Amino acid sequence: MNTMIIAENVVKSFGQGTERRNVLDGVSVDIAAGDFVAIMGPSGSGKSTLLFALSGMDAVDGGRVVFDGVDLSQLSDDALADVRRRRMGFVFQQPTLLRNLSVLDNIILPSMRDGRKRARQIREKARILMETTGIAELEARDVTQASGGQLQRVGICRALMSDPAVIFGDEPTGALNSTASNEIMALLADIHRSGTTIVLVTHDPKVATRAERVLFILDGRITGEHLAGAHDASREDLRVREGALSGWLTEMGI
Amino acid sequence: MYLRAIRNDVLRSKAISITTMLFVAAAAMLVALAATLVVNLSGAIDALMQRAQTPHFMQMHVGDLDRARLDAFAEAHASVADHQVLEFLNIDGAQFVFGSRSLAGSVQDNGLTVQSESFDFLLDLDGEVISVKDGEIYVPLTYLQDGSARIGERATVAGHTMTVAGPLRDSQMQPLLSSSKRFLVSHDDFEAIRPSGRVEYLIEFRLHDLAALSAFETAYTNAGLEANGPTLTYPLFRTVNGLADGLMIAVLLLVSALVIAIAFLCIRFTLLAKIEDDYREIGVMKAIGLRVSDIKRIYLAQYAALAAVGGLVGYALSFLFQGALLENIRLYLGESANASLAPVLGLVGVALVFVAIVAYVNGVLGRFRKVAPADAIRFGNAPKASPGRRRLRLTMNGLLGTNAFLGLQDVLARRNLYATMLVVLVLAAFIIIVPRNLHHTIASESFVSYMGVGDVDLRIDVTQAEDAAARVAEVATAIGNDADVARFVVLTTKAYRASLDDGSEGRITAELGDHSMFPITYASGRAPSSDDEIALSVMQASDLGKGVGDVLSLTIAGRERALTVSGTYSDVTNGGKTAKATFADETAEPMRSVIGAELTDPALLDAKAAEYAARFEFAKVSDLDEFIQQTYGSTIGAIGVASYAAIGVAVATTVLITLLFMRMLVAKDRHAIAVMKAFGFTNSDIRAQYLARSAFVLVIGILVGTLLANTLGEALAGAVIASFGANSFAFVVDPAFAYLWSPLLMLLATLIATVAGTWDAGRIRVAENLRE
Ligand SMILES: Nc1ncnc2c1ncn2[C@@H]1O[C@H](COP(=O)(O)OP(=O)(O)OP(=O)(O)O)[C@@H](O)[C@H]1O
Ligand SMILES: [Mg+2]
Repeated sequence: MNTMIIAENVVKSFGQGTERRNVLDGVSVDIAAGDFVAIMGPSGSGKSTLLFALSGMDAVDGGRVVFDGVDLSQLSDDALADVRRRRMGFVFQQPTLLRNLSVLDNIILPSMRDGRKRARQIREKARILMETTGIAELEARDVTQASGGQLQRVGICRALMSDPAVIFGDEPTGALNSTASNEIMALLADIHRSGTTIVLVTHDPKVATRAERVLFILDGRITGEHLAGAHDASREDLRVREGALSGWLTEMGI
Repeated sequence: MYLRAIRNDVLRSKAISITTMLFVAAAAMLVALAATLVVNLSGAIDALMQRAQTPHFMQMHVGDLDRARLDAFAEAHASVADHQVLEFLNIDGAQFVFGSRSLAGSVQDNGLTVQSESFDFLLDLDGEVISVKDGEIYVPLTYLQDGSARIGERATVAGHTMTVAGPLRDSQMQPLLSSSKRFLVSHDDFEAIRPSGRVEYLIEFRLHDLAALSAFETAYTNAGLEANGPTLTYPLFRTVNGLADGLMIAVLLLVSALVIAIAFLCIRFTLLAKIEDDYREIGVMKAIGLRVSDIKRIYLAQYAALAAVGGLVGYALSFLFQGALLENIRLYLGESANASLAPVLGLVGVALVFVAIVAYVNGVLGRFRKVAPADAIRFGNAPKASPGRRRLRLTMNGLLGTNAFLGLQDVLARRNLYATMLVVLVLAAFIIIVPRNLHHTIASESFVSYMGVGDVDLRIDVTQAEDAAARVAEVATAIGNDADVARFVVLTTKAYRASLDDGSEGRITAELGDHSMFPITYASGRAPSSDDEIALSVMQASDLGKGVGDVLSLTIAGRERALTVSGTYSDVTNGGKTAKATFADETAEPMRSVIGAELTDPALLDAKAAEYAARFEFAKVSDLDEFIQQTYGSTIGAIGVASYAAIGVAVATTVLITLLFMRMLVAKDRHAIAVMKAFGFTNSDIRAQYLARSAFVLVIGILVGTLLANTLGEALAGAVIASFGANSFAFVVDPAFAYLWSPLLMLLATLIATVAGTWDAGRIRVAENLRE
């Protein structure tokens, strides 16, 4: 399997003078194409920071991140933007949608940036995605008129528009109840099955259960890794995986 | 805790707070200055006219004078307190020589007079009645100011030598707009020069009570006393004395109104932005049980402090500039009797600005009522006014780029916020275009037609004299035979009795001749075209209570004739009460005649003017441009300077407000910008979106501003012009400026400010704004 993201000894620090400390303190990790990685760890351990570093959204202070063979630190702001727009998708805890735009327009916004000539195809694609994610009826609605779970699906549709190689998620289910959370995770699992790499941050073992690989991060270092392997998403399989994961988490000190 | 959060917020938006304060200070300063000027101007005029004992009624007259009859008339009228006849010895400008310079180029009627004994005194700069010694000549202040004469210099008037002893203040004839200027000499010197000049009588009355003036005027007219020159009255003197500075005050008030408007807009948009920003906090405060009035007070206190500091700074600044603006008033009119009132009134003006601001802030804060705690906490920002309403669709948009679309979308979605910037741009366009149009109009040649003077090249005035008719004929023949004269017209002014509706009689001076050759601009109606029509000056018409279409009865050649009023026009000449008609009448004595001529080649103007001036010494020959230049030149110049200053102010305001506005938007939009960047929009995309927002607002702003400037601005400028005496008014628009340079200038200013103001957007880090 070819490697999609390589992080080598990544350091990221915040603060000034004596206050300055390494939030990421020499993180190295390889993520293969088609992987489903969950990043876990206590609050403030550096999960979000790592995600931003891996996706090139934030510059690192030491080490390097290579995406698809390209060292992200060598790219300009605009080149990074292009990479994000064409190769990556993002789903955040909050919907991060633009209030001024309708649901449909929010979804197609990044694609319209370069694809105005293909507006019709783009719109069609968005409709199909909304159909598959179960929010077809929201198309013309305002983003303020949808539920949290629905908005998260809107975010996923937007992330999928560019057929990204990888989807990054930072607590994508963090603001949802367990039913909605399950639905979203099932959706992400489907997306993964279709070949998309997924990297997501979560503190919820139920969510991490869907991943094939779980990284544990503590004080800016990766302190453990749990390989769950591929799964068939049956209830039975999930229960078994959950048991194994929670055993490992206890080991990690949770 | 929340209270502290909001306080910190105000401190954080320092730039915006300081700008708001600056505008408040500027507004307060202008209002204080205007108040100070009004008090000083009116006070100084009153003081001057008080000390000079300005006549309440003055009739100019040339020719025979029956003093006994005048005395008897004054005796018979209880309202008369005092009366006198002064002599004004009219002398050709060329005969006044100071050092080696003469007044030959002056369009004023210059003349000598002696100090009056009972009233209408000529004063020195201390406001004292001048007592003049033999060999001394006191010179109107203007001539000392413009360097025509200097104190201590040798003055030769018609060959008689004296020394310039000092300046004089003349409560009647001081302003350039009044066409005569009095020099003060001793009795002996006056008598020595008398043979070289032509005596004009100033028949003057003081009344016990000014309220009796109009009754007195009627009585004087009906008595058929000497009256072949203009009639001037106390209120008119007062107006003319205040005109130049009054204009300055009017401009100041106009500018302060605009600055106040901008200060309000600043406050409005910072407040709206803050309410949007603090939406969640406000919701939380409401949720935990604070009352709207409690929350309001927190915000109100900030703005009250801002307004108070700004107001006081502005008030203090007003003292700094007061001196310069009052200089003119102090010099020409003297100290005001109630000058001590000025600082108080200034403070009252500033207080009014303060109260207005606080009331306004309070009104805007009323929006707090609309904050629903549930929404505020759930979404953290204000829900849209009407969700799901008609809206632009990204996909339906084939014309605009995605960035332009997003810009437009944002402008439409946050109309309230952008309306503020729009109004600033409209005001700026207004401030740029109106003064410029005003200047262009006043400076244009046709403008003089608004003031009762046709657009001729050369103008020859022959005033009343024994053989006036013969002299006019002589000039007319010479002009008629001159191959360089394209066409000319002779207009002769004669006086007629008019029977008024109330049964009394009035006196009308009508200018007879062909009024179609060098037409003036009519406020209403048109020029008289047949023998039974008459046009009235606006002042005359309102005096008679007549309008277009009304009938007026005149006694012409001993016969009563009904004339229809064909039109009204503005006039600033001869006291402003005039009429124009075409009927022929050989019986009435002419008061004065004007020969207007147009030359085949305007380049000959100077030569021709000199030629006729030399040939007809009894006539006053002026070329019209010179006449305008001398009478209005300084005003036109001042308005020119003001118009450029206005452009500077407007452009600076546009840049400043746009800059602040964009910075504020970027700060507010951090999250949205981060979202877009996260999904692959580049910094130049973001900048393009902001440029699009500015451009949309700008386009509307320029359109509306230009439109308003040419309609409302025209009306406003018309009001200013009306104070010159011109009542009908239309802009002569400088199209290249109004439709090309002004929009380009604003475009440039706005776009530069937008780019500068949104530069920070590039520095917004996605990671910091989207971190969970
Ligand atoms: N811009 C910043 N400036 C200073 N410190 C920061 C900044 N961003 C993050 N930190 C610090 O870095 C540490 C890691 O932050 P990060 O957001 O990665 O944590 P996290 O693991 O995602 O926590 P959570 O589960 O609460 O989201 C925290 O201690 C945080 O305070
Ligand atoms: Mg986090």
